[in-house]
Amino acid sequence: MPSRRFSRPRAAVVVTAAVALLLAACSPGGGTASEPSSEPVAGGTLTYASGDAEPSCLDPHVGGNYPQALIATQYLESLVSLDDDGEVIPWLATEWTESDDGMAWEFSLRDDVTFTDGTPFDAAAVAANIAHVQDPATASSTGYLALAKITDVVAVDDHTVRLELSAPDSALLESLSQVWVAMESPKALERSQEDNCAAPVGTGPFVVDEWERQDSVTLVRNDDYNSPPADAEGTGLPYLDSIVWRFIPDSASRYAALQSGEAQVIDNAQPDTIKSAESDDAIEELDAPRPGASNRIELNSGKAPFDDERVREAFIRSVNVDDGIQSLFFGTAERSYSPLSSVEPLGLSLPDLFTVDTDAAANLLDEAGWAERDADGYRVKDGKRLTLDFPVSTNQSIPAEQSLFEQIQADAKTAGFEVNLHPLDLSSWYGALAENDYDLVSAPYTKVGPDVLRILYHSDSITPAPSGYFANLAQVDDAALDDLLTRASATSNADDRESMYEQAQRIVLDGYYILPLYDQQNHFLYSSAVQGLRAMPTVSTPTFAGAWLVS
Amino acid sequence: MSGLRAAVDRAAVVRAAVVHGTGFRPTAAEAVAGLVLLLVLVAALWPGLLAPGDPLATSPADAFQAPSPAHLFGTDESGRDIYTRVVHGARDSLLIGVLATGIGIGLATVLGFVAGLGPRWLDFGTTRLVEVLFAFPGLLLALLFIVVTGPGVLSSTIAVGLATAPGYARIIRSQVRRTASAEFIEAARVLGRGRLWIVARHILPNVTAALFVLATLGLGQAIIWVSSLSYLGLGAVPPAAEWGAMLAAGRTYIANFWWMTFFPGLAIVASAAAATVIGRGIQKRNRSAA
Repeated sequence: MPSRRFSRPRAAVVVTAAVALLLAACSPGGGTASEPSSEPVAGGTLTYASGDAEPSCLDPHVGGNYPQALIATQYLESLVSLDDDGEVIPWLATEWTESDDGMAWEFSLRDDVTFTDGTPFDAAAVAANIAHVQDPATASSTGYLALAKITDVVAVDDHTVRLELSAPDSALLESLSQVWVAMESPKALERSQEDNCAAPVGTGPFVVDEWERQDSVTLVRNDDYNSPPADAEGTGLPYLDSIVWRFIPDSASRYAALQSGEAQVIDNAQPDTIKSAESDDAIEELDAPRPGASNRIELNSGKAPFDDERVREAFIRSVNVDDGIQSLFFGTAERSYSPLSSVEPLGLSLPDLFTVDTDAAANLLDEAGWAERDADGYRVKDGKRLTLDFPVSTNQSIPAEQSLFEQIQADAKTAGFEVNLHPLDLSSWYGALAENDYDLVSAPYTKVGPDVLRILYHSDSITPAPSGYFANLAQVDDAALDDLLTRASATSNADDRESMYEQAQRIVLDGYYILPLYDQQNHFLYSSAVQGLRAMPTVSTPTFAGAWLVS
Repeated sequence: MSGLRAAVDRAAVVRAAVVHGTGFRPTAAEAVAGLVLLLVLVAALWPGLLAPGDPLATSPADAFQAPSPAHLFGTDESGRDIYTRVVHGARDSLLIGVLATGIGIGLATVLGFVAGLGPRWLDFGTTRLVEVLFAFPGLLLALLFIVVTGPGVLSSTIAVGLATAPGYARIIRSQVRRTASAEFIEAARVLGRGRLWIVARHILPNVTAALFVLATLGLGQAIIWVSSLSYLGLGAVPPAAEWGAMLAAGRTYIANFWWMTFFPGLAIVASAAAATVIGRGIQKRNRSAA
């Protein structure tokens, strides 16, 4: 049998090397981080390691979740974009006008843009894209809901298009800025959905080259790229030759990949690693809270026991999430008291509703008829235990968040709630929601602007979109709220809009339908060799259009 | 005649007693292993004796504390005391380990006896079946079972039991066959003992000794497998104090808070190693006694 031991000289070399490495690791860092070099460098391959679930389709029209948005931002572009102040700016559309009655919008399109398969970008392409999103066979959910008011798309001429609406839509431009309704080649859309999912064709800075499932997607430079959004900086974009978009679900491995240089950018960075990266000159952080909804736990008011507002209030009053957020997130997340993200200017915060008060909670449960406790300390009513099912999507919740849910479970137990956490993969999780098999659920929802409230809390959203997903997971069914949300989305008066959205948020918060936690966390860690990386002001996905690698 | 019969029976019992190994001096490793198993056993039966706290009690203010006199093994991300959780986790791990081994050996005994004593065609059929099952790595078989039944503590226990059965069945079959062809069995048969009587009185005791060793060795393996399944999220569900599940929870934080993975890992390694050392010890003595 051959010996597996090191020979002595070899062992000596290994030990010396290890000591040298250790010393190198312990010695103080070599000065401050290099200043961003002013001259972008062309070329190179960047590796991005994603912790999100690998999309089953690379076309964000289909379904429409955040992992799709992350990657599609690199190869698809929208009609409009936002600047850092949240103002709508031109992208594939150069200008636009709303009709006086608000029932139609006319967009002038760029006439010098072609898709990467050679198809020209024109009015017919816009029509084909909107039709694709609205086609039930596409099974779109995010894009479908965002474009729900568009009834007809008319090509006025080759590069002018008119969108006709069923009702005025104050959120139309915000909706169109999202990558879930980005423009794809109409010729490519004619392929089978399977083909289009594997390699969508857009006008973006990169092109989908190859998708090795369960491993990575390779994106290569679009050599004819000429259509950055109006706020983009630099010429000769993009600089990178290619991007390898890897899927590394395990957060520790992902961070290790960044540290070792195997990856240059990682997403879904864990709070403890963000904290320890602060002192590391070789690693930078990009914190880009997502717009739209805050990260919150929805209480399913559509069935017992949460159909009783007192039980909902009792639950919310009995769980302490502040301490957990502090310790689990190491100061990288701030507690939210609003249905909307902190980046939404119209967000309403009502902290007083969420003060922990276990006595009040106990009284409310007594009042609601859950007065007795069984041998395990759980409350019972008519022989039934106060049980709450909480399906948790392990793909959409980072471990720190899952730990927070465990702490909520422990707190709720003291109050007499039995919370059953069900860690599920994404498809089983969607299944549990479709079966109405949940009492508590945390579902991220990203959309530009406060119109997300209509999608999340209008009673219409209890009806599933073509994908089978319904967004009103709290199952709020309130006529006054419906009315406010409908009117707010139609008004063009900014003050009215603001006050209506404020009232709407008040109804949602006062009704104890949700327990807001924090913004949808969107932390990226990247090597300091990466320059020019920025998050899109639309849905906060990073774009590599202007990124380059310092050698 | 009956005197001879009694003598043969006695011989069989003596054989069985020898292999049980009464009166030997344990080596240092075996003494340590015995102590570890004893501790695990106490932890499993009376966890309150070693750690009076509640393994599920959270205290966010005390999260991520390094090992200290107040928290011997440190605390986890929710401020739960890891020492308390490791102690209370022994019950799950040991109980599931014992049950799984029991299921495995029980099933294997049936298969082994059927193959070892049945007619040739039955032996052929059973042996081939066992060989086919044997072709799958054990953990894969367990995963397959869980995919069908859905994750959970019960299904992971049965899964590990089923997955270990083919290995045991093979050993038991050969043991049964060897014993069945021994001279004293022949003698018993000649003396007119019934078939069942021979199985119960002569073959079973002799096989039991081997089973005991197998079970002890298997326990260590089962503990590891059960932890593996929980680690993969297919067994105990968080926040249960189960070693594999704790290992999985600590994995995320391994770069900064090593104790979250180290101590549950140590518990798995120590108990599995202890069971193996004890099992090997008994096995060695059996062999020298034979």
